[in-house]
Amino acid sequence: MYEVANVAVNYGAAAAVADVNLRIDAGELVVVVGPNGAGKSTLINAMAGLHAVASGRLLVDGRDITSEAPHRFCESGIAIVPEGRRLFVNLSVRENLELGSYRAGARKMRASSLTRVCALFPVLAEKMDAPAGALSGGQQQMVAIGRALMARPKFLLLDEPSLGLSPLIVRDLFRAIQEINAEGVTVLLVEQNVAAALEVARRAYVLEEGRIVAEGESQQLVSQPHIRKAYLGIEA
Amino acid sequence: MPSATLLGQSVLSGVFIGALYGLLGLGLSLSWGMLRQVNLAHFALAFLGAYVTFQLAAVAKIDPFVTLAIVAPAFFVLGMALHWFFLRFSVTLLNTLLVTFGITSIIEAGIQWYWTADFHRMENAYAAVRWKLGPLFLALTDVITLGFALALALGAWAVLRFTDLGKAIRATTEDAPIAAAFGVNEKLLGFLVSGFAASVAAVAGLCLALNHTLAPVQIYAWMGVVFAAVMMGGLGRPIGPLVAGIVIGVSEAVTMAVTNPTWAPLVSFSLLIVILLLRPARFS
Amino acid sequence: MKTALAVCAVVLCAVPFVGLPAFYESFLYLLLSAIVLATSWNLLSGYSGYFSFGHGAFFGVGVYTTAALAGKLGWPFLWTLPLAALAATVLGVALGAVVFRVRALRGELFALLSLAITFVLSTIALNTVDGGPGIQVMVDMPKIAPTASGVLYLLMLAAAALTLWTAYAMYHSRFGTGLFAIHDDEDVAEVMGVPTYRFKLAAFAISCALAGLAGGIHAIFVSYVTVAETFSIALAVNVVLMSALGGTRHWLGPAVGAIAITMLLYAFTSGNAAVVGRALSGLILIVVIVAMPAGILGQILKRFRREPPARPRPEAILTDLHHAKKSGEPLLVVRGVAKAFKGVQALAGVDLDIRRGEILGLVGPNGSGKSTLINVVSGHYAVDRGSIRFEGEELVGTPAHRIARAGIARTYQIPRPFQQLTVLQNIALRPMFGQVVMDRASAEAEAWRWLEFTNLADKAYRYPGELNLHQRKFLELARALASRPRLLFLDEVLSGLTPAEMDGALRLIRAIRDQGATIVFVEHVMRAVMEVTDRVAVLTYGRAIAEGAPAEVMRHPDVVSAYLGAAHV
Repeated sequence: MYEVANVAVNYGAAAAVADVNLRIDAGELVVVVGPNGAGKSTLINAMAGLHAVASGRLLVDGRDITSEAPHRFCESGIAIVPEGRRLFVNLSVRENLELGSYRAGARKMRASSLTRVCALFPVLAEKMDAPAGALSGGQQQMVAIGRALMARPKFLLLDEPSLGLSPLIVRDLFRAIQEINAEGVTVLLVEQNVAAALEVARRAYVLEEGRIVAEGESQQLVSQPHIRKAYLGIEA
Repeated sequence: MPSATLLGQSVLSGVFIGALYGLLGLGLSLSWGMLRQVNLAHFALAFLGAYVTFQLAAVAKIDPFVTLAIVAPAFFVLGMALHWFFLRFSVTLLNTLLVTFGITSIIEAGIQWYWTADFHRMENAYAAVRWKLGPLFLALTDVITLGFALALALGAWAVLRFTDLGKAIRATTEDAPIAAAFGVNEKLLGFLVSGFAASVAAVAGLCLALNHTLAPVQIYAWMGVVFAAVMMGGLGRPIGPLVAGIVIGVSEAVTMAVTNPTWAPLVSFSLLIVILLLRPARFS
Repeated sequence: MKTALAVCAVVLCAVPFVGLPAFYESFLYLLLSAIVLATSWNLLSGYSGYFSFGHGAFFGVGVYTTAALAGKLGWPFLWTLPLAALAATVLGVALGAVVFRVRALRGELFALLSLAITFVLSTIALNTVDGGPGIQVMVDMPKIAPTASGVLYLLMLAAAALTLWTAYAMYHSRFGTGLFAIHDDEDVAEVMGVPTYRFKLAAFAISCALAGLAGGIHAIFVSYVTVAETFSIALAVNVVLMSALGGTRHWLGPAVGAIAITMLLYAFTSGNAAVVGRALSGLILIVVIVAMPAGILGQILKRFRREPPARPRPEAILTDLHHAKKSGEPLLVVRGVAKAFKGVQALAGVDLDIRRGEILGLVGPNGSGKSTLINVVSGHYAVDRGSIRFEGEELVGTPAHRIARAGIARTYQIPRPFQQLTVLQNIALRPMFGQVVMDRASAEAEAWRWLEFTNLADKAYRYPGELNLHQRKFLELARALASRPRLLFLDEVLSGLTPAEMDGALRLIRAIRDQGATIVFVEHVMRAVMEVTDRVAVLTYGRAIAEGAPAEVMRHPDVVSAYLGAAHV
């Protein structure tokens, strides 16, 4: 279980995220939606150790990991698919995937992890030795997800995987995410594409201007006038 | 027009001097490309190693290779210390140039104070061994230099290419925070790379002592050419500077054989300028 | 002040007539020479940030020009000096013309390239003019002082006076401000109207000319010129050391450093001591870089910085931003604009009309291309395809600083002020280089108006680093407004502001429009968009999919689908 308790994160001098509480139980697929500038990326980056937490605590299975060094977060079973993918573009696809399993625990299972990733994203099998930067946007996203899976995570954090991708590819990606969740990986998905996100997740949080303003079952949330006002500025 | 033998010998000597350029360039290239630190002190360090080797050979009759076994680890620690210093004071790239120039001044002054500005040549048994390859002569000390250069460049390349450590280093260079998210400890790798680069300087020092006459002022003479080799061969690449170094060495040697020797420096620097203007994007 | 300077001048000129031993006259000569070289180096490298390790090359060109003309050909020595300066300048301009055009050649690459030039020139000099043994330069000295060393002292004094005056004048001029802006953020400076290429070239030319002049004089001083001595790397590094020690941001900094280092080096003149001197200067360099990044003078100035007396605030008369022509007509017409970055199609054929006098909201999901559109219109990036016509004139292909002059301004989503310029200087930059080019005084007066308008007047002499986010966003705004733009792009000025601050910002935006500017307002905060815009355009996947009145557009099925997905229209 990953618990975020009263967490505040600053971006420079300003508070990007304030007083956030959320909880993801093992095996869940939870979504955090919110308009741009709401602080979703900042929050998920903090949960992955990429960004320092100003106050509050991050608890994994009860253990406080808030002040651990960035390179130790993956030891807690956390893996991230960052916004904009952030692949190592000069390294090959294979090397990117291998780096995913850099941590000792994952290294032993590298071969089987690789097979699993190729089964999930067959198109990557032919592109193994291509430089990651040469792939299309959708393929790069697959590599990014694959890289995170290679770490054999307990918690998979995805930051706006649909960004810049066409609806068809987004559909395939989200199907893959559901498969991953079905195999037992806990997933936290941060998305701006509300529609796709609420279709795959049963539970959702709405983040607005750095605070959680709503929480609950996805189907209930989407019909709330709150969401329409936040995203479109109109009264439903 | 010089004879074929003379040309051949020139090419050969160019290869060997180029190997030394490549050896000096290896450490520089790695720390510049991977750590974003331009370490001018690399040259002073190499010369320091050379002088220490000379001193121990002259005074205590210690075999240069034994000295290397002491100096290389010592320099490894020095390299790590330098990296620590840069991290501690958050020294920017351009400032590493200036700081290491300051360090160079200090080391060079130290060398001159202890050993004076006179020329020194290390007497050693290896210098006497030469072979004949057809009409051409090959010195053992030259072959040792080439051997070290090839071994270290290829070794570094292999580590970067095939091992997890090497991939982690390459990944950290590109995107350190994301690499950290997957468990890569940037600080530790930084220390390893800077320590290794400094040890390579120790090896270069040995080769310098074996093959050349030493004088403090020469520290600066090598700087320009080796920088040219590194920039032509590519930052962060182990083999590129070696190849570039050999190209420079051979073209210099041939120029010297064919025309007035004083034109030789023009070759390497003109090559560098042309490359910089035509393909600057390689170095960012 | 003026009398003090006059007294100094008289005292300095009188030195050769006092009867000092030649050693002291020579020492003073070397001191002055160091001042000339360090200060001239700083004109390009310190002011604009293009660190050159090649100053020795241009000094050497000066030396050899005089040596060849006076020493070998017997020309009158004084005539060779302007030629020495000219030769160095020509070389510098030739080099700069090529190098400054290449965008990637900044920072350490420029430093090393300039180092390489030194080696190339020294080799050429060695093989052509010099021939190997060096050149003997025995000339008749003009009889302006009792001794030869006295004459040289006076000549170098003149050169130093010229150099310091140039540094001072540049520092306080529009030219200098532009160079400092280039130092902090060259791309933004270009977008703000600074002609970066021309300015860099000019600074380089002046720097080389002065180095060449010093070289010419030096040829006589040493009287026997060799390549090894002239083109040594020591000079190149010493000028860097002196300037860094004294402080590169101030016109007098290098002189301070030059005096310090020269005295240090000459305190150790005998054999062994010279070695200690070198080690010591190395140590000082390290300490200075690490502990005093601003140099001695810089550090002192920071410590004793007094706030200049608050200016009497001018009446905040907000006159029209421009003579408003008939509103409602298209001001900016964007057709078929496309831009791709490494496989991502950021803009895929955008068609958009912006009408005079309106506030147009530009909205769209993350990654839809809004910022890219602004970057492309303001000239930050070049388009792949398409046309952008501003009042009938085609903007595509125009350099950014000319687009700025045409009356288009933009703010940056993440504020990018020039960190080393004060708030006032930041804002004054645009009027200095804007549509109507103003001199420094008028530009600052203009800047004061906008400081008032955005409530930043009491922060005028502070540096951007001392402002909070809200203030920095308003600084961005003031910067953009100070050039009285006809078309203003606001890129997410509201993000990170509290609701109260946001209301203040919205009021400001309406006031700006009422002055006659047209505003394109990129925002995510929807309620702000609804409140303040006249029309809204929606971008998705790099295309404009809707344009019209806010409430209608945001209810349009395509737009709702873009934001929330087709299922929830």
